[in-house]
Amino acid sequence: MVYFTFKRIKLGLMNIKIRNTLGEITGASIAMIWMAYNLTEASKMTIESVSKVLAQGIGISIILIIALTIALNILSSIITGQYEEDIDDERDKIFELYALQVSSAIFGISLVITLVLLGWFNLTIISALIAITFSGFIASIVSLFLKVYLYR
Amino acid sequence: MFKKKIYIENAVRKLRFNSDEMTQQQLAELVGVSRQTVVAIEKYKYTPSLDLAFKIALAFDREIQEVFFINK
Repeated sequence: MVYFTFKRIKLGLMNIKIRNTLGEITGASIAMIWMAYNLTEASKMTIESVSKVLAQGIGISIILIIALTIALNILSSIITGQYEEDIDDERDKIFELYALQVSSAIFGISLVITLVLLGWFNLTIISALIAITFSGFIASIVSLFLKVYLYR
Repeated sequence: MFKKKIYIENAVRKLRFNSDEMTQQQLAELVGVSRQTVVAIEKYKYTPSLDLAFKIALAFDREIQEVFFINK
């Protein structure tokens, strides 16, 4: 009970940026897990069905991120009893830039690795497609964790 | 000489208390930033841009060098 109350207070006191970023991390992670679960038999699947799963995964992540952000903010407002405005100032823009740099670097490196593997090790197009989509998700999650670290 | 790292400090907390105990939220709203940015400035964890530094100085009706200064 004490632990639950502590958690409630923590969620209420957390700053809006951390809350939104945690919502984004959770949404992206759930979508990634869903895609991984649906792609366990990827080697036997056609490129059309793999593309469909990846497109659905991206869609799910977008919907989940929006839904989780709204839900977390409503929950926080109920706990604290006040509305917190999401203001983007110059410090936020610097953090956004750091996160963008990190995610671009990770995505760029993984794209080059995928292309190298595609040429040298005869990686299939399906595997390359999955690797590129997942690297995009991983790059996004790492950059979001960096944002949480900067906003802490 | 100018290649040496400089440490910019500020008197925001002191000036806030001298201005009728203005809260961090009130100052943030006055200069158009989030409360977290004001907290970071007060703790010297973030050096604001020249634009924001002038806005903070104007909010306290002081000269910029009275609010932000170099620790020698």
